[in-house]
Amino acid sequence: MHYTRLAAAVLGAFVATGASAQTSTDELYEKAKAEGEVTWYVAQFTTSIAEDIGQDFTNAYPGVNVNVIRATGQVVYSRLAQDLRNGVAQADVFSGSDQTHLISLKEEGNLLQFSPENGPKLRKPYLDFEPDGYWYTTSANPTVMAYNTDLVTAEEAPTNWTGLVDPKWKGKVAMSHPGFSGSTGSWAVLMRRLYGDEFFEQLEANDPLIGRSLSDPPNTLVAGERAIGIGTLATVTRLKNAGNPIEIIYPEDGAKLTLSGTAIPANAPHPNAAQLFVNYLLSERASDLMVTYGLQPMRPEVAPPPGAKAIDEINLASPTQDELINGVQPVIELWRRVFGA
Amino acid sequence: MAKLDLNGITKLYGEARAVDDVNLSIEEGEFVSLLGPSGCGKTTTLRMIAGFMRPSSGTITMEGRELSSARTSLPPERRDMSMIFQSYAIWPNMTVAQNVGFGLKLRKFSKSEIDRQVMEILRVTKMDHLADRYPAELSGGQQQRVALARAIVVKPGVLLLDEPLSNLDANLREEMRFEIRRLHDEFGITTVYVTHDQGEAMVASDRIAVMNAGRIEQIDTPFDLYNKPRSHFVASFIGRTNLITGKQVGGAFEFDGFRLDAGAFPAETAARTGMVDFSVRPQLLRLLPEGSQPNGKPAVQAVVDERSYLGENWDYLVRPAGTGKALRVSALPSDRHEVGATVMLEFDPEQMVAL
Amino acid sequence: MTDNVTPYVGSAAGNRGYMRRFLNLEPINLLWALLFLVLIVLVVGPIGFLIKVSFQEGGNGSFTLDNYLEAYGRWRYLQALINSCLLGACTALLCVIFAVPMAWAVSRTNMPAKWFAWASVLGAFILPPYLTSIGWILIAGPNSGWLNEGWRWLTGAETPLFNIYSFFGIVLMIALNAFPFIFLFTKAGLDMISTEMEEAAAILGSPTWYTSLKITLPLVWPSILGGIIIVFLESIALFGVPAILGIPARINLVTTQLFQFFGYPFKMEVAAAYAMPLLLITISLIWVQRLLLNRKGFVTQTGKGGERRELDIGKWKWVLLAWCGFVGALAMYLPGYTMVVASFSEAWGKGMSASNLTLANYYDVLFVSRLTQEAIVNSFYFAGVAACGALTIALCVAYVVTRKLVPFANVLAFLCMAPFVIPGIVLAIGFYAAYAPPPLGLYGTSAIIIVAFIARFLPISYGTAAAGMRSINPEMEEAVRVLGGGRLTAIRYVVAPLLKKTLFAGFLLVFIPATRELSAAIFLVGPSSRVMSVLIFDMTEEGRFEAVAAIGCIILVTTTFFVWLGFKLVGRDFMMRTNH
Repeated sequence: MHYTRLAAAVLGAFVATGASAQTSTDELYEKAKAEGEVTWYVAQFTTSIAEDIGQDFTNAYPGVNVNVIRATGQVVYSRLAQDLRNGVAQADVFSGSDQTHLISLKEEGNLLQFSPENGPKLRKPYLDFEPDGYWYTTSANPTVMAYNTDLVTAEEAPTNWTGLVDPKWKGKVAMSHPGFSGSTGSWAVLMRRLYGDEFFEQLEANDPLIGRSLSDPPNTLVAGERAIGIGTLATVTRLKNAGNPIEIIYPEDGAKLTLSGTAIPANAPHPNAAQLFVNYLLSERASDLMVTYGLQPMRPEVAPPPGAKAIDEINLASPTQDELINGVQPVIELWRRVFGA
Repeated sequence: MAKLDLNGITKLYGEARAVDDVNLSIEEGEFVSLLGPSGCGKTTTLRMIAGFMRPSSGTITMEGRELSSARTSLPPERRDMSMIFQSYAIWPNMTVAQNVGFGLKLRKFSKSEIDRQVMEILRVTKMDHLADRYPAELSGGQQQRVALARAIVVKPGVLLLDEPLSNLDANLREEMRFEIRRLHDEFGITTVYVTHDQGEAMVASDRIAVMNAGRIEQIDTPFDLYNKPRSHFVASFIGRTNLITGKQVGGAFEFDGFRLDAGAFPAETAARTGMVDFSVRPQLLRLLPEGSQPNGKPAVQAVVDERSYLGENWDYLVRPAGTGKALRVSALPSDRHEVGATVMLEFDPEQMVAL
Repeated sequence: MTDNVTPYVGSAAGNRGYMRRFLNLEPINLLWALLFLVLIVLVVGPIGFLIKVSFQEGGNGSFTLDNYLEAYGRWRYLQALINSCLLGACTALLCVIFAVPMAWAVSRTNMPAKWFAWASVLGAFILPPYLTSIGWILIAGPNSGWLNEGWRWLTGAETPLFNIYSFFGIVLMIALNAFPFIFLFTKAGLDMISTEMEEAAAILGSPTWYTSLKITLPLVWPSILGGIIIVFLESIALFGVPAILGIPARINLVTTQLFQFFGYPFKMEVAAAYAMPLLLITISLIWVQRLLLNRKGFVTQTGKGGERRELDIGKWKWVLLAWCGFVGALAMYLPGYTMVVASFSEAWGKGMSASNLTLANYYDVLFVSRLTQEAIVNSFYFAGVAACGALTIALCVAYVVTRKLVPFANVLAFLCMAPFVIPGIVLAIGFYAAYAPPPLGLYGTSAIIIVAFIARFLPISYGTAAAGMRSINPEMEEAVRVLGGGRLTAIRYVVAPLLKKTLFAGFLLVFIPATRELSAAIFLVGPSSRVMSVLIFDMTEEGRFEAVAAIGCIILVTTTFFVWLGFKLVGRDFMMRTNH
């Protein structure tokens, strides 16, 4: 254990000084095989997608298994934070859903700087997310709205975010909790900027059903438990393509897009497998797989999933990095005050 | 078979003296009972002999080897003894044969030797037909026999019995008393037997140690214990007795309301002066009809206070004239006297024991 | 026969006295020391650290009161405390309504088919509260639950009949799991009352209902109150139901708030401070309960005997029987059935139809997902090791205590029973505080969960082990020893075989709850040590109820199997003892 940790630190320092150019993928694979496994803390994908991605990686690189630890953005980060606090090295790859976590991890010196072969091959808008090489964009999953087509007609369906607080949908709204879900946190920051604190009070008055993860509301809609709600474009697209009675609403006031990056903790016990895995996430093969789940492809070579618009066709509204750093915790506090839990 | 010595054994529980300076020497092959009321320290003494407890002072030696002292105590498993418990402690998870053979197994006998000895002892204890039964299927008496067989088969240096018959009903108890003695006669094992039942002790023992409040009051053969008690306690604990006090005044003992000529008593009694306590067994007193001629033994006039008929004898309570203290008299069924009748109460000074 | 005795040095060898004493020293004193050490680690350590950490500043460890200021400085946090107490009280009340008529019917009346009531009680034991909740989400989700859909269809109403995501929903879920406590306590009390008590009233002209209300019930009031206290404490310390229902219902409770402190930003020190009321309430209420039940009250005065005749209550017996069935249906059969159906469905919202039927959920859970496979293995592995561990410790302590082998043995017994007054969730935080950080660094390991489970279930094990030991006459062992066997021989050939049943019951009584424990596990699991209960909790956040239902059914089937095994091998009453 100590040896690995030491190796990780040395390797980290080595890469950080820029003394080494990128290691070739084959070389990485050899070293990764010796490490045997990679533990992936992930919030960007649902459990089953994450497991499938892990399996596909192992198919591509036999001998390296993926240990998937999936939780919501806040929870997965709190795990990593506890690991660090307790001096435990468990996570090899961290795919959170709240960029502020990555920023503070980087500032605290807890991330490995690395440069995967596929790093520069991403679609244009994803390239500039992190110029220093501490993380790479692995998910661009806009938060949109959705409705159950059995319960709501296309004409009735709201067209922008304020629909959620329209009293006509009282008791019919499905939400997720910013205190658990990282994407919902950044969405709440956006809502606060656009519509102020009253938005949350009105939302509360509408008596929404609040799940913990952003993946929960679309399932609630499909089940007919609620009529309209929020969700990630990917989840809604996937459910829609599977034949469920659900339709996407691209809010006119802008779908929320925050890019989600994947990083490697400086103390990762399997740093080579980790780099190999991140490189895989940035590959065409991974993008092909992601598209089948309704996710946006990271690579320009791969077309967006059917039934969903491509990123550049969507009207987007995104909170800035500063807004996120200063805004997420206060908006969670605001939410808890308003909703009581 | 071994000689066992207890030298000044004392057991303290805090301030209380459960066993107080007990000295007892048991000869090889001897059968000694510890007899006394509950709480007299007899079981504590036995458990110290067995090694379950350590004395507070004094030593226990066997064949001259020290087993127990205040400083150290050889654990029970290394004392070469065996014991029969009040609850029998037959292991319910083993058959009769397994129970009996267990001690032999611990002594590393061969399988065939164990089988042979087990069958032998079961035959002696008349349990051979039940060898494969489990204890739950046995009666109390049969369990008792298993316990006996299990204790004897290892041919221990000393056999200890802790109130072994107290859980049996009266008939079985009677039978087992003789059974225990019979087995002792057959194997000659040095035996220490704890009981509160004098009948059991009298039947089985070579000698009896009567204990009271942690001390040994008297150690004697059953006969001497009964006929020559040396203390109030022994006199009243062993059998029934009348305790009366007399004062020698001018060649006669003056009792409460009557007097007996000192010359009629054994010489050593007659030599005593001052207040003397006597134990008078009820069956050594006789009742004669009023006006009968004395036949050489002293008699005093008395009134019958109470009587009860017990089948084998009459139990009278009679009050000598001019006294407050009634005496108990055991009389033959043929000696009938009505309550309230005046009778002659005949003493036998030869047999009156001065304490 | 002296040749069997180990050569032994006489007392003349004065200067070798100490050596000899050492040789004759029983290893039991070493065992005592070892047990004491183990119990310090299991019980004293976690609680000591919990208290210590609550006064420490996060990071640097210097003394501070800030944690308490923060824990009680916000209205929302105080509100959670109030909510929890209210929840406990309401749950206890509902449990009384469920259970007292059942207990009365079973104990004192001629109600037919009494096994029916027992089946309801057993069902409630088998289904852990978080699974009851999941079953009920499918039944009474405000819009899609079939209960509410049916209600709307029947009445054309706009509002749902019953919304599971509500305060009452949480109360109902916990009550449906906790009512057996009141049932068992009340029944035990009723069983002690002689029918003559009632006949004495009847002869004076009191009608049956009046007698039952004025004579019988007041007599068992201490027992009912004892049960109420247990239910109250169970309710306020429960995590699963509040987390699954409380977050959507927007009701904050102590346990969910504790969980929040363990989220981001991570505030373990505040959590420790915030856990104190839970600990204090539990300790004081258990103390009150002991007083109530130990009081030489009216119940024991009548003696254990006294004849009991069944009261003929006429046609009311059918009403009571229906009530037993109703409670059983709510507690077990409805949610259980719904869960089974959901586990075989493609989408639980689509209802029952051939096209919706699938085995895919089970296939995924059992053969595809490494996560669920691992969690299933972990659950049984942890529960098995914890049950063996707790049983071993409990037996050793029970042996030392009942045989009075060492002075102060009762200290060991006290330590074994101490976790009983520590809510599982508080114990888990204590374990986290004590052993997760360096130097031990057990954070996220299997070891910390197993050890926490051992501590959590130690009182159950000890109760069983001590009862078993007391039933063995010490003379059984002494008989071995005088025949030349050491203490270990006695234990191996006599004590252990005689305790077989006790051992097995003790194992199951820990194993069964440990396979489903959530409150203690949720704070201690790490990436590779997740268990089924935690996985279920994690999966509910994604709304994957079909897969959740499949795992739930696996828990249900295995629990049922082990309970059946216990019935078969130990006896019918083995889970039903009120050894609380």
